[in-house]
Amino acid sequence: MADAGTKAEIRSNMWKPGGWQSLLTFVILTLAWLVGFSSRLFAVIRFESIIHEFDPWFNYRSTHYMVENGFYNFLNWFDDRAWYPLGRIVGGTVYPGLMVTSGTIHWVLHALHIPVHIRDICVFLAPIFSGLTALACYFFTKEIWSPGAGLFAACFIAIVPGYISRSVAGSYDNEGIAIFALMFTYYLWIKAVKTGSMNWAIFTALSYFYMVSAWGGYVFIINLIPLHVFVLLLMGRYSQRIFIAYTTFFIVGLILSMQIPFVGFQPIKTSEHMASAGVFALLIAYAVIKYVQSFLTKAEFKYFFLCAVAGSAAIIFCAVVGLTWAGYIHPWSGRFYSLYDTGYAKIHIPIIASVSEHQPTTWVSFFFDLHILVCAFPAGVWYCVKQINDERVFVILYAIFASYFAGVMVRLMLTLTPIVCVLASIAFSRTFEIYLKDDAPKSQSKVEEEEPPDSKNDRLYDKVGKTKKTKEERPKDQDTLGMNIKTIVVIALLMMLMLFAVHCTWVTSSAYSSPSIVLASYNHDGSRTILDDFREAYFWLRQNTDDKARVMSWWDYGYQIAGMGNKTTLVDNNTWNNSHIALVGKAMSSNETEAYKIMRMLDVDYVLVIFGGVIGYSGDDINKFLWMVRIAEGEHPKDIKESDYFTPQGEFRVDSGGSQTLLNCLMYKLSYYRFGELQLDFRSPPGFDRTRGVEIGNKNFDLTHLEEAYTSEHWLVRIYRVKDLDNRVKVTDPVIPKPKRKKPSKKTSRKKMGSIKNKPKIIKGKKPSKTGRK
Amino acid sequence: MEALYSLPFTVLEVPNLKLRKPGWVKQPSAMFMFSMVLLSYFLVTGGIIYDVIVEPPSIGSTTDEKGNSKPVAFMPYRVNGQYIMEGLASSFLFTMGGLGFVILDQVNKTMPRLNRILLLCMGFAAILISFFMCRVFMRMKLP
Repeated sequence: MADAGTKAEIRSNMWKPGGWQSLLTFVILTLAWLVGFSSRLFAVIRFESIIHEFDPWFNYRSTHYMVENGFYNFLNWFDDRAWYPLGRIVGGTVYPGLMVTSGTIHWVLHALHIPVHIRDICVFLAPIFSGLTALACYFFTKEIWSPGAGLFAACFIAIVPGYISRSVAGSYDNEGIAIFALMFTYYLWIKAVKTGSMNWAIFTALSYFYMVSAWGGYVFIINLIPLHVFVLLLMGRYSQRIFIAYTTFFIVGLILSMQIPFVGFQPIKTSEHMASAGVFALLIAYAVIKYVQSFLTKAEFKYFFLCAVAGSAAIIFCAVVGLTWAGYIHPWSGRFYSLYDTGYAKIHIPIIASVSEHQPTTWVSFFFDLHILVCAFPAGVWYCVKQINDERVFVILYAIFASYFAGVMVRLMLTLTPIVCVLASIAFSRTFEIYLKDDAPKSQSKVEEEEPPDSKNDRLYDKVGKTKKTKEERPKDQDTLGMNIKTIVVIALLMMLMLFAVHCTWVTSSAYSSPSIVLASYNHDGSRTILDDFREAYFWLRQNTDDKARVMSWWDYGYQIAGMGNKTTLVDNNTWNNSHIALVGKAMSSNETEAYKIMRMLDVDYVLVIFGGVIGYSGDDINKFLWMVRIAEGEHPKDIKESDYFTPQGEFRVDSGGSQTLLNCLMYKLSYYRFGELQLDFRSPPGFDRTRGVEIGNKNFDLTHLEEAYTSEHWLVRIYRVKDLDNRVKVTDPVIPKPKRKKPSKKTSRKKMGSIKNKPKIIKGKKPSKTGRK
Repeated sequence: MEALYSLPFTVLEVPNLKLRKPGWVKQPSAMFMFSMVLLSYFLVTGGIIYDVIVEPPSIGSTTDEKGNSKPVAFMPYRVNGQYIMEGLASSFLFTMGGLGFVILDQVNKTMPRLNRILLLCMGFAAILISFFMCRVFMRMKLP
């Protein structure tokens, strides 16, 4: 940012059209890209080039599959290793933009004979795209305000923590490329509105297509752009340009977005997209009315207008209601509905509310992620409101909606971040423009000789003998501020920007750069211990269990087990089937005998739990346990009751005061099995849980239906094997039953993979009968 | 056609009614819009949605070693938790910082010198205070 500051100075000093300006722009944008890229590398430097967290593991796994097997096989991929026994059609339930992007890069590099492993491309994709985002922000702000503000915006977005949080090296997720697509689409839209050319509108639609292929957040675009058009109509700012831009964008964008298998027919069926269609109809109607107005008299027109408005409103309303009622249009999906009725998710969909990034935002998150920009943001809005035009209406709408959504969900801070950068850059660039301009000799060179009469005041104030050089910014003003004051203001602002940069780096390094599958702890002397338990355990799973083994765990770890352990999972982070998750939750929260029944039913071979009590890791399964209970209760309210897991005082505690249901449930037993024998240090009793800070309540117990298979070094991951059914006791005095003439069931053994009823018998050389085929 | 129109009016009497666009319905002014935006920004950044969903107390309290309960304004060491008052206090600071920038811009209008200096100091102080207070607040929250 200091670059941008000096840039303004230099520009005012050595103003030459062309050369300097473009050179500086180029240099600053390159630097912004470099800085953005390198500040995202903390995790790679500290640990290694590794994929982070949960969702990225799935993305990596499917990218890997795509690179190995080709794009079309990827689209047809049926993953039988997830959601056992249901499986998952990956090609149809994924936004393929991310995989295609990195696959393309991989392909290009290999075509050039640069052998880079696909993992490295996946790790570094998000940092590289952050540079492209900076470019997109620059162009966007340039269209909205000025090139100077654009440079500020590029520098801000390159390092702002709100964006870094989702795009550090290794966090290989949709958001990393989607924010670029978002800002680029908006830039092209602004361009289309400004020029009214079909060309730009088509480009907007293409960029929108990329966004649709990359992230579910495309719904934000398809609602914001119609809203922009609608507000412009309300403000009476309708023009030919808007008509061309929107109709072109809508039609082409609609058709393109339906090409993504996952999106399919949603754009014409779900309520989230209805606003765009409605605005399209409205715009056409408005244009028709405008046209009719040109050859009707005023009275006739009034009559016509009223009829048309009432008629079309009634028709549209009836159509929407009728289609919704008939089931052609789906009402809002829960995730979007919870954005408007904020209490909805809490009551109805615990699985959405259970994800920590779906929690509502507190003020600290705003300041932590945006820092000084959060203060400059209203000022940017103010400048835009003061000098309003078609594009700035868009910016203001974006600002309002994004800030509201960011308040509802922490993760949507990501969509707020770019617009905050844009508006803050406008505020900063305006302020710098005012406070740096004073010593610009270019505009007021004529007033250099004849000093205005009232510059005495200036001289009184400016004790430094610089008064001769001080120029009046506007000679009509009574007086202006002295140079010194202006310099102080500028320096203070620059200091703030410097603190902002420091803050960003600090936040990036301390908060957003941990891979979360490799943990690091620091000793008192500053040396570092790496806790690599997750990979240790997943590697054990990969090496020592059967290839078809089914692993039950809470859904958070599903992608990692599939990605690193290469084993079949029951539930994973793609939480599409609530009842299946509830079943796993029920197994975890019932006692061992009940759980065994469920596990037999689901063909579970291994159970994996995360236990942080030994090292004090707070994100373990016991801390998540209440969500399992809640989700299970939602589906099985007869068997599981949340209140059973609390003490009569309503506390959740695992020590001896805890409720008996809790102390005997499967999750408790699996987490604390043999933990009572472990004494961590001499000050604490055996079985002292460091995460909860208590001595556990139920120490000596044995497992009947499960046995411990593996526990990682720091007890972080514990894997249990589900025992087979007991052998039957040998009957000493056999009573031979009479043979019954009943047909035995074909599925005698539960270990069978399953069989088809009325399976057609195929005899070689004969056609199967028609009834058999059905 | 005409007969069809007049059919309902054989039983209904047309009320003598004049509908007029009420005087207060007009396009709101730019500054009004801005203040609405600023107000909503103030509320949202204060975590009002968090307050509605989670329903935290307005001010927390702790008990010290003597057993007296003391009020605590800030929920310490927790980034994703807050009390109502602390959220409002800090979002007030955010808004104040924003207004500081606006004031800095207003300084360039025509006005007497003293006013100008005062205004400048005010805007500048608003920015600085809000910025540094926010930093202090954040320090208290971070573990």
